[in-house]
Amino acid sequence: MSETVPRNTAPSPPRAAGEGSRGFLEEGRKLQRDLVEEYYRNLATAKERGQPVAYMLVGGNLTEIVRSFGYEVVFPEIIGLNCAIKHASLDNIVHAESMGYGLDVCGYVKNDIGLQDLGGSTPFGKVPRPDLLVCSFSGCYIYVKWWEALAESYGAPMTTFDVPYMRSDRPWREDVDYMVSQLWEFVHYLEKATDHSFDMDALRKVLAESRRAEEGWVKWLDAGRLRPSPIEAYFEAIFYMFPINVLRGTARAGDFYDVVNAEVERRVRDGTNPVPEEKFRVLVEGVPPYTHYRTFWDYFRRWGAVSVVATYPKVGGLFDRGFLHDPSRPFESIAEYSLGAYVNQSWEQRRRIIADYVDQYSADAVVIHGIKSCRSFTAGQGDLRDWLIHERNVPTLYVESDHEDPRYFSPAQMRNRLDAFFEALEQRRAAGSLAPGAGR
Amino acid sequence: MSGLVSIEPSVPEPSGPSTSVELSEDFREFTDARTLAEIVRWSREVVSDPGYPTARAWGRSGRGAVGCFPVYTPQEIVHALGLLPVALHGGGENVEISHADAALGSFLCSISKSTLELALTHQLDAFRAVVFPYICDVSRNLEGIFSRLLPTVSTHMLHLPQNFTSAGSVPFLVAEYRRWVEKLEKVSGTRLTDDALRASIETFARQREALAELARLRMNEPWRIDLSEYYLVRRLGGLLPRELHTSLLGRVLEEVRGRQRKRRDAIRLLVVGPFCEQPTLDLINLLEEVGFYVVGDEFLMLHEWCERPPPDDDPLRALARAYVETPRDIGVRRAPSQKGTSIVERVRSAKAESVLFLTAKFCEPALEDVVLYRRGLEKEKIPYLHLEFEERSTAYEQTRLQLETFAESIFFE
Repeated sequence: MSETVPRNTAPSPPRAAGEGSRGFLEEGRKLQRDLVEEYYRNLATAKERGQPVAYMLVGGNLTEIVRSFGYEVVFPEIIGLNCAIKHASLDNIVHAESMGYGLDVCGYVKNDIGLQDLGGSTPFGKVPRPDLLVCSFSGCYIYVKWWEALAESYGAPMTTFDVPYMRSDRPWREDVDYMVSQLWEFVHYLEKATDHSFDMDALRKVLAESRRAEEGWVKWLDAGRLRPSPIEAYFEAIFYMFPINVLRGTARAGDFYDVVNAEVERRVRDGTNPVPEEKFRVLVEGVPPYTHYRTFWDYFRRWGAVSVVATYPKVGGLFDRGFLHDPSRPFESIAEYSLGAYVNQSWEQRRRIIADYVDQYSADAVVIHGIKSCRSFTAGQGDLRDWLIHERNVPTLYVESDHEDPRYFSPAQMRNRLDAFFEALEQRRAAGSLAPGAGR
Repeated sequence: MSGLVSIEPSVPEPSGPSTSVELSEDFREFTDARTLAEIVRWSREVVSDPGYPTARAWGRSGRGAVGCFPVYTPQEIVHALGLLPVALHGGGENVEISHADAALGSFLCSISKSTLELALTHQLDAFRAVVFPYICDVSRNLEGIFSRLLPTVSTHMLHLPQNFTSAGSVPFLVAEYRRWVEKLEKVSGTRLTDDALRASIETFARQREALAELARLRMNEPWRIDLSEYYLVRRLGGLLPRELHTSLLGRVLEEVRGRQRKRRDAIRLLVVGPFCEQPTLDLINLLEEVGFYVVGDEFLMLHEWCERPPPDDDPLRALARAYVETPRDIGVRRAPSQKGTSIVERVRSAKAESVLFLTAKFCEPALEDVVLYRRGLEKEKIPYLHLEFEERSTAYEQTRLQLETFAESIFFE
């Protein structure tokens, strides 16, 4: 699926049962937009306020600690996906390629480096230069390469928080000890860099806010277990991940999930669900094609397919599997949270998580979206498909495009694949070989 | 890639090795080899056999072999348990990919696919264990695929730390090594002892010293040994029992020092990038055919990753320190210094006049470094060329043209 297609040629999907009624949670979506705008405004004015800026990665991030030292935090992955969803990533990517970054380099990296070299202006606002680069090495090898490039470009110091790969259900003691020792060293580094003393009590308060947001987020995700599902656990989650990943540790994040969960309750009460007639309950694995996100969503909706659970919203942490921050064990729980980034899980763990999700959310089928950019997420998804079909008897489709680079999304081919898949599911259901919500 | 119907078995039926270099259990072919030509001839046969004949020969005597995916694993640990550590380098140009694509997807490097293909077609049956160091996300994920598809083979994803300044890094790596040791002890049926590990560290240190001597000779007087000879002799170092390889190196060094060869008027070249997937021998030969002397390279970095481990009461800790403390600049490890500065230092150290970035298709760590390296070279006006390769490439007309043009541009500068 690599042919080049013109940008923005995909037809607009039918109005969601709720851009205004059911496709989005009205108040929650509006609040999310406000939070995004506020975040970018804060970024744009950080230097004017004299606030230092730290760049951080989503997986295993240390936002609570860094914010406690007064830093404003930039997440280039979030900037990248925002650029892609606004169809602004290709210019940055092409510019990065002109700087020498090859076709096979991650789209996030190219979007970010191209963007910065072009001056840092996004459709949302200007992104400030970093004073500190915090590399949380959790789940993605390219994090290190990306941050090295930024460190050399900006001359900013880079610190590395090495997060061991998760190969067990629960964290190993030695791994947690290693991370805790790094966290203390990081805190001492920040004390010197900012001339501020570290305040453990203040961190505990921030972590309490994080936990409140995490519990709210998990409650929202859990709603996908209901039949019919009152949420789109993949397509809506893309928006509602913002507070949990970017604003975690602030009261605003926890408040946000109070709002959206109240709306979910209203949806359940009123029967106003994202898909009016839920026909297929789907687990989605993989990073979304942000450049054609609405088009991709429409390919599901037209078949009455709702994403009841997804792995992508767990890239920032497997909160729903118990990896929550705990104010009574600050550094230990930060370490455990960092281990719990979804793509930091071994394939054995990922298979177990997906099998559990299929059961818990009564999924009929799995759609895997592999992306060219991300070997961490994607390498092995073909094997996952094989495992789901042959060992779990779960109908599974594997499709490929990219999350940042629109040149790798072929609308016609993608639609054909999904149409064929859902049509076959319909036939299986008609033949009695696919019980509703019993994909196993 | 359709979703609902699949008729192929997830693992193909056994077909047996398709190639047939059968070495004797005591590797007599090598112990009897007296000349560099004989060693190189056997080496060529072994390297071109995707069924890893040295692992098979070792296994016939009832001992186990352990496959080590690039770039670095502390092979001393494997050796100390009586197992043969064998450096995996993919399938080369002789392996047709027919099963691995489905498991791995489209946009991944050839070595990941060919290594899985070899496993699925039973070419790796001689291995009782395979280790995948965390050198990139593909290597990391391969472990999880192997563990499902080859449940009788012991697998381990070795998390090599990326924080080299933390007081916790060495203790963590020791713990990580111990986890791997536990698996290998089950494979070998023996317990790892400090004495055995110390002896193995010494064995590998002797091998590295001999290899370093050969590398110095190659750097200072590259006309004395062809690049392909040099490459094949070094590649054997990850395949043969190390004691035997070290003894071969003694013979090689003696012969090469005594060779009377004419020095060519060639450009001294540093080759950066092929630290994992290996180009074909044809491509390696081409580098010197068009007018270069390769005086420094990143082929087979296994042998050059760490110096002799530092003295330490605990030999496992010595190995962990060797990894954490090495100043080696390589794409699969957090850079110890600025990339641009580092590449210039490497050029100066090798007395090179030019740099070739020879990166494997889809090898993102190498690709990302190229940009930073280029900036450093441009500042110093050091000429460079960037080429991509795949292990199954066989046509080099375009590559030859690019290399010749590069050489001419330097000659006539």
